[in-house]
Amino acid sequence: MGAVDNAVEPGSVRLMEAAALDRLFASLHEAGYLVIGPTARDGAIVLDELTAAGDLPFGWGVQLEPGGYRLRRRDDTAAFGHSAGPGSWKQFLHPAREKLWSARLADGGFEIEQAGDDPGRDAGPPRLAFFGVRPCDLRAIQIQDQVLGSGRGNSRYAARRAAVLVVAVNCTEPGETCFCASMGTGPAAGPGYDLALTELVSGERHAFLIDVGTEAGASVLAGVPHTDAGAATIDRARSAVAEASQHMGRSMPAAGLRELMAGSHDADRWDDVASRCLTCGNCTLACPTCFCTSVEDVTDLSGDHAERWQHWASCFDLDFSYLHGGPVRASATSRYRQWLTHKLGTWHDQFGSSGCVGCGRCIVWCPVGIDITEEVAALQAEAEGTQAQDAEKQGGAP
Amino acid sequence: MSQVAAPVRPARYQVVERQEETHDTVTLCLRPVDQPIPAYQPGQFTMLYAPGIGEVPISISGTGPDLGLVHTVRAVGAVTRALCACTPGRVIGVRGPYGTGWDVSSAAGDDLLIVAGGIGLAPLRGAVLAALGQRMRYRRVMVLAGARSPEELVFGRELDGWRRGGAEVVVTVDQAAVGWTGHVGVVTQLIGRADIDATRTTALICGPEVMMRLTARELSALGIPAARIRVSLERNMRCGVAECGHCQLGPLLLCRDGPVVSYEAAMPLLAIREL
Amino acid sequence: MSGVTPADLAGHAFLRGMADGHLAVLARVCWVAPVRQGHLFFAEGDTARRFWLIRSGHVALDVHAPGGHQLIVETLGQGDLLGLSWLVPPRQWQFNATAVEDTMTFEFNADAVLAACESDAGLGYQLVRRVMSAALSRLQATRIRMLDLYAASSTARGGP
Repeated sequence: MGAVDNAVEPGSVRLMEAAALDRLFASLHEAGYLVIGPTARDGAIVLDELTAAGDLPFGWGVQLEPGGYRLRRRDDTAAFGHSAGPGSWKQFLHPAREKLWSARLADGGFEIEQAGDDPGRDAGPPRLAFFGVRPCDLRAIQIQDQVLGSGRGNSRYAARRAAVLVVAVNCTEPGETCFCASMGTGPAAGPGYDLALTELVSGERHAFLIDVGTEAGASVLAGVPHTDAGAATIDRARSAVAEASQHMGRSMPAAGLRELMAGSHDADRWDDVASRCLTCGNCTLACPTCFCTSVEDVTDLSGDHAERWQHWASCFDLDFSYLHGGPVRASATSRYRQWLTHKLGTWHDQFGSSGCVGCGRCIVWCPVGIDITEEVAALQAEAEGTQAQDAEKQGGAP
Repeated sequence: MSQVAAPVRPARYQVVERQEETHDTVTLCLRPVDQPIPAYQPGQFTMLYAPGIGEVPISISGTGPDLGLVHTVRAVGAVTRALCACTPGRVIGVRGPYGTGWDVSSAAGDDLLIVAGGIGLAPLRGAVLAALGQRMRYRRVMVLAGARSPEELVFGRELDGWRRGGAEVVVTVDQAAVGWTGHVGVVTQLIGRADIDATRTTALICGPEVMMRLTARELSALGIPAARIRVSLERNMRCGVAECGHCQLGPLLLCRDGPVVSYEAAMPLLAIREL
Repeated sequence: MSGVTPADLAGHAFLRGMADGHLAVLARVCWVAPVRQGHLFFAEGDTARRFWLIRSGHVALDVHAPGGHQLIVETLGQGDLLGLSWLVPPRQWQFNATAVEDTMTFEFNADAVLAACESDAGLGYQLVRRVMSAALSRLQATRIRMLDLYAASSTARGGP
């Protein structure tokens, strides 16, 4: 199997046989982590708690298209040969429903009984090992860290985030709807992982190259059989990942998205996409960076007890922008425009980066198959057409 | 200019005084029961919690004794109706202060022009009091206030005090019965008569969005630079801490980059329908 | 009859920029008219044969409604033109106009002004332009008031 080596450091590169995955899971469990990762269930690859390595979706791949997702049998036993599942890691870090606090109502006032940010309220959030984080999803987590992790209000996010170990998986086989390369988020994982795996499957051989990112990642490898990786193997793995960036099915313009969005408010294209969009909000549910929430104050029947709950909200909801008796964004045009110009444009102004990581989930999980790369291309063409017209008008005046 | 905000749970404040301003607007003087929220800047807002019912963003209209707060609330929905019904002794929740302030002191040495429409005078009251509190720092302090009718003018009983404090206060209403000796007309019609020196005036405007757009445009036409005109913008707000996404107006998150925004930044945004 | 000079008129905001020759014509058909608080300039229904330029003071236009309601339509002050109905048929005042405080005005003989405009189209154009400007500004303001922006359903500084 290979020598069990305890002296692994951040920056080192190791090789582990697929058969040792069980040992890696055991090591994670021993370190107190619940392992969350992909598993095949209900016709999709979903993220859930994995009790053992056997729960991984070995041999399962996916067939993706706008508005379409199908599981398919691969002709190898790869555990990570899939992408763009319906769920993302945000469901664990930024839960769909969460109680903020509860209070007793009495004596003409109220008294908070229990609040999410009480120190020492309980043992703290569970330690989670995210097993199989794609590079795009790792960037998405970091983008949400920027929005929610400052501790300004949502201190529970910061606590949950601190209890997460990230085992990333580099991509060697992009899905049909992926475009991480043009968004600069993949197919190789950027910094921020504790461990990063690259799956190597050929014939009978099934192994993982492991890049050790942090001390926490290194300590998890203790007791797990792994060997020196060897230059040839490393090269093979790196090439496979680099190759993947040549096989993306889609792309976004390399630069200027923020400016394109800022200049496109009057574009005709918005009405075009709105005629297809159902404003169902699936894209906001599937998107790994969408973070919007609403709060709900509820009381019990006696009126003595109140709770405030936070839950996911979507800018496609009509009441999202409610003000003075009606929604500010009533038309589907304005709501679709809001979503896309925020994701690709004003997110830069608000949080310092793009909000899109190129995972392609919004394309796959849109029931009518709206493809944002296609919409952006159309907006760009319209902008260039308008510019050409304006130039003509100015140049052509007698 | 955003303050460090309180955490997720509301702080408890007790109503110590309740003043009916108009048939649907009430001013509440609040005093902290537990730890008070951090000191506020005029223009900022808090999320007020009516126990068991819900929260709304309300601009702070001033401070009270004992680190207290003054809030003027108009009853237009379930939460605001509950807040307006609060009598002295009731305890409500307060989170904040949030957002950007009017930055009154930036007008030091120059003329300060305050234009209010309707209940828009409430978020500006703190600015008026701040300026009068350091009256010598400013040249002219002008307050132009528009209201629907004399009965719907908020802080009507305070205006003479402001005049004594050195402010030129002019009021106009949309409709009045004979007997009213003030102006009848829209607040923009007062601007021409105010003899404004556009080269050294900072203008603060608050009121319905249409009124703010028209007023800002009028002041711009007079020659006041857009960077020296400030408006107070409003959108749906839930968290107050830039995490829920509701209060977006283009690139701005109004709970963090507003509600006070320069007209220079606001003008292109207000021009886009359904932004 | 007047004692008003073109220079006197040139200083009034309404006539700003008007040529001396035209001001001279107007000066011959107007006079200084101070009025006391409570003075009734005109009443609804009267024939409109005069108009005023307000130099200082405060004038209210009002209308009487059944039930003892007397409602102010608009107030005017320094620099404003008082009276629009004299210019076009049926030349009949639509509202009452009352001085809310002691007020200084130039009062004009509207018949004479109209006659002068008939024979001097240049004067007519200049006057009508200025009247149109005053009317436009009041129309825009009135349209805004009609929106009733401060009413509860269209504004809520108090929140939802």
